[in-house]
Amino acid sequence: MDFFPVWLTLRVSLAATALTLLAGVPLAWLLARRRFAGRDLLEALVVLPLILPPTVLGYYLLLVIGRQGPVGRGLAVAGFELAFTWRAAVLAAAVGSIALLVKSAQAGFETVDPRLEQAARTLGRSEWSVFWSVTLPLAWRSVLAGTVLAFCRAVGEFGITLMVAGNIPGKTQTLPLAIYDRVQANAMGEANALALIAVGGVAVLLFGVSRLGRLKY
Amino acid sequence: MVSLSIAKRLPGFSLDVRWEAGDQVVALFGPNGAGKTLTLQCLAGLVRPDRGRITLGDRVFFDSAAGVDLRPQDRRLGYVFQGYALFPHLTVEENVAFGLTGRSREERRERARILLERLGLAGLEARYPRELSGGQQQRVALGRALAVDPHLLLLDEPLSAVDAPLRRQLREELGRIIREWGKATVLVTHDLAEAYQLADRIVVYESGRVLQAAPKSELLWQPTSERVARLIGVRNLLKGAVLKSTPEVIQLRWREQTLEAVNSPSRLFLPPPGAALPFFIRPEYVRLIRKDRPGPDAHHHMNLMDGEIVGEVDQGTTWTLFFRLGVAGDPGQGIYDLEIEVPKLVYEILDMARDRRWQISIHRGSIQVLPSEGA
Repeated sequence: MDFFPVWLTLRVSLAATALTLLAGVPLAWLLARRRFAGRDLLEALVVLPLILPPTVLGYYLLLVIGRQGPVGRGLAVAGFELAFTWRAAVLAAAVGSIALLVKSAQAGFETVDPRLEQAARTLGRSEWSVFWSVTLPLAWRSVLAGTVLAFCRAVGEFGITLMVAGNIPGKTQTLPLAIYDRVQANAMGEANALALIAVGGVAVLLFGVSRLGRLKY
Repeated sequence: MVSLSIAKRLPGFSLDVRWEAGDQVVALFGPNGAGKTLTLQCLAGLVRPDRGRITLGDRVFFDSAAGVDLRPQDRRLGYVFQGYALFPHLTVEENVAFGLTGRSREERRERARILLERLGLAGLEARYPRELSGGQQQRVALGRALAVDPHLLLLDEPLSAVDAPLRRQLREELGRIIREWGKATVLVTHDLAEAYQLADRIVVYESGRVLQAAPKSELLWQPTSERVARLIGVRNLLKGAVLKSTPEVIQLRWREQTLEAVNSPSRLFLPPPGAALPFFIRPEYVRLIRKDRPGPDAHHHMNLMDGEIVGEVDQGTTWTLFFRLGVAGDPGQGIYDLEIEVPKLVYEILDMARDRRWQISIHRGSIQVLPSEGA
């Protein structure tokens, strides 16, 4: 049996989660703490990937990063290929899961009493320091819960990945795509094994998250 | 010396205040929603006024005309928030040392240790705020603010989170700490007793405006308007008609009586005869004429009036009596004319529970006249 899809999925999901954290945490903080023009629009945009059909999302993403797309063409000039590589799968997983992290982290940041941050400011701490020493330590559970949810969502990404990374065995075929492939080929034993691996991994993670609620800061 | 003159417009509320305070404790006193906390936030740089100027000594914190607006980080003020806002994820020591940046670890620990010792918190270094009593939390909050050696201490309703029995004790403790540190302080409170006990000077707020700013004893005895008198809870706030006014005395007609009141020499207030004039009489300053002693002496007993007690409330250690004058016409305050406060001992000795008819006297120094509204 070929375990490549398992390792690929793990690698893609971890990379996608890192990307999601990098972009999602500042975004969540911005939405929770700043009032600016276009804030509502940005908030709607963040949630959109949860609501749009994945194939529609994948289609538009492909238009942007494909060889003829504005980003794809720029990357091609730099000698970098994105569409139909494992990196495209990372992008697909990140786009599909970022809303979960942003929403969870935003809710976490919003529950932090703003007076605690103000207190830190009056005590001479910079905005950067206020975030790392007050906001994040008080909201880390929500950030972590969002991260795990986003990771699980990334593991299960199917539609967007299929559109932008394809279903190339040994190259971009992730776990969900592989399961679909095995079922199509009537290899139910292999499909079953892969599905169990997915269920087991995600279940362990979610159980871990539910335990977090009992921890104090 | 703090000097503040700011305006700030919010939806449904506008703040427009100006006051100054020396190196002492000043209380911003007024009802909830009067703009006291907003003023404190502007002072600390947490809220930006629309226009105005805020200075502390020769440092300019905010000046809309010159485009100056120091960040809260650069103002170095010790802000003690309502409910204290201690960092729940940090220990007592970490809370107190939070503002001590740019120093070595040992130096921070040492300074925190000295502060905690001085505040009577030694031994609690490793505790978390949720494990502390209200009084200990207050001291940690003060310690955290004082650790950075602030130029000014800001206290926002420091005792509002505490239950009544403990409040009195914490108020005394707070007063002691403020005096010990000798820090210029701005205190926000809606409790007059708190303002009076802790502050040297009181600024009275209402609806985003300053009604009066004065040393505390002056405020208590010479409110500049009926509104201030009401806000500071003055009882027996009445209205009479001026008969005669001189720089020494003002004669008033009230309830078919002629009252004589001392005119405050500093005010040189000379209302024209016939003018309606608000005045007040403190319930503790009404004298009862004893029936078992020789008749009243005109020199000691002025503004004599007859009447009867029509109601009473037991206040625990004193009785509040509702006194109605024996004259025709509507009483000054509903069913009675004057509230009189009498110690329980006096009430018992004079057997006032049975004996309801009394003659009273009010010294002319105990009748405070107020400038009429708009004067």
